[in-house]
Amino acid sequence: MASMRAAARPPALPSNVRVGPGTVVTGDYVTGPLAFRHFRSERDPGLIFGAHCTIDGVVFNVGPEGRVEIGDYCYLQEALLVCEVEIRIGNHVAIGWHATIIDADFHPVAIEARIADAVACSPLGAGRAHPPFARRPVVIEDDAYIGPNVTILKGVRVGAGAFVEAGAVVARDVPPGRRVLGNPARLVGRAPAR
Amino acid sequence: MSSDWHPGTIPPNVALDETAYVGTSYSFTRYRTGRSVGLRVGRGASLCDMTVLDVGPRGRVVLGDFALVNAARIICDAEVTIGDYALVAWDVVLMDTYRVPFETAARREALRELPRRTPRCLPSTGRSLPVHIGRGAWIGFGACVLPGVTIGEGAIVAARAVVVEDVPCHAVVAGNPAQVVRGRGMPSNRC
Repeated sequence: MASMRAAARPPALPSNVRVGPGTVVTGDYVTGPLAFRHFRSERDPGLIFGAHCTIDGVVFNVGPEGRVEIGDYCYLQEALLVCEVEIRIGNHVAIGWHATIIDADFHPVAIEARIADAVACSPLGAGRAHPPFARRPVVIEDDAYIGPNVTILKGVRVGAGAFVEAGAVVARDVPPGRRVLGNPARLVGRAPAR
Repeated sequence: MSSDWHPGTIPPNVALDETAYVGTSYSFTRYRTGRSVGLRVGRGASLCDMTVLDVGPRGRVVLGDFALVNAARIICDAEVTIGDYALVAWDVVLMDTYRVPFETAARREALRELPRRTPRCLPSTGRSLPVHIGRGAWIGFGACVLPGVTIGEGAIVAARAVVVEDVPCHAVVAGNPAQVVRGRGMPSNRC
């Protein structure tokens, strides 16, 4: 019980995290202790929050070479950011509950390499090289809306003012001002205007 | 709640049947409705651990008798009703509102206003469309039900489906966006 209460405090920020004025980073009872447990960025800064952001229960899983940059006035709610290279989020971006943004595959596609990777990842894999895998930056431009349960995959650019509907799985770029829906996400017209 | 891990309470405007089950007061950390009854939980109904009721100032959620909600997210500014005997699985999102204004300039303004609000929650945009889950319906894990959708009595929504339009009674829908995969054009669809 006591440990669960401790978890409600805001997470401690690693030293290579920059936080702009007016930005609040909260953990909740689920992510409090988890928020930065997998933050391993060796870049400095490895994570930049702009000004006046509300970062509520977000988990930052960032590898040694990864860097996350979030602009001003963003609102992220219980999202998961998995970053090996770069995730760049513009200004006035709203990201819904339980969304996942991931900029890498983490395992190679070709079967031989994948088997070698499975061995390297195993408890018996110490000293073995991990075969390379696809990693490409994700960019979410200003004023985009990302709904709850959305997945944004590596290399995707979500254009300014785009509207990604709840549950969409986005594997390709979303042009500015358009609305996407589905798995895989498809264009279904313009972002709703009213 | 004999052993609640969260140090909270159930708000006074929750009408809880004496036989109903609420797993934890954590479910109410985003519950801020001012309605006289903001949540009604029926006879033998359950609101299991990690369900979150993100209910805005004028929202109302109704859980019918023997309904079971297990770790879902209910985002409500108007009304979300879950019928008797309905089953709602984990990571499901039932939303009657997007919370953000659609128009870009208005959305930007709402996000600029957010840091000045206490708590930091977006206000209702005034364009909420009620969500209704029919009697005995079953919503599979990770599914999303979008604003304005009615799930018919006895219908089944498959895991991770995203439901953007009404589901006929006793139909089975799957996919993203969800489509009827079984039970279309049956007499039982009319109910």
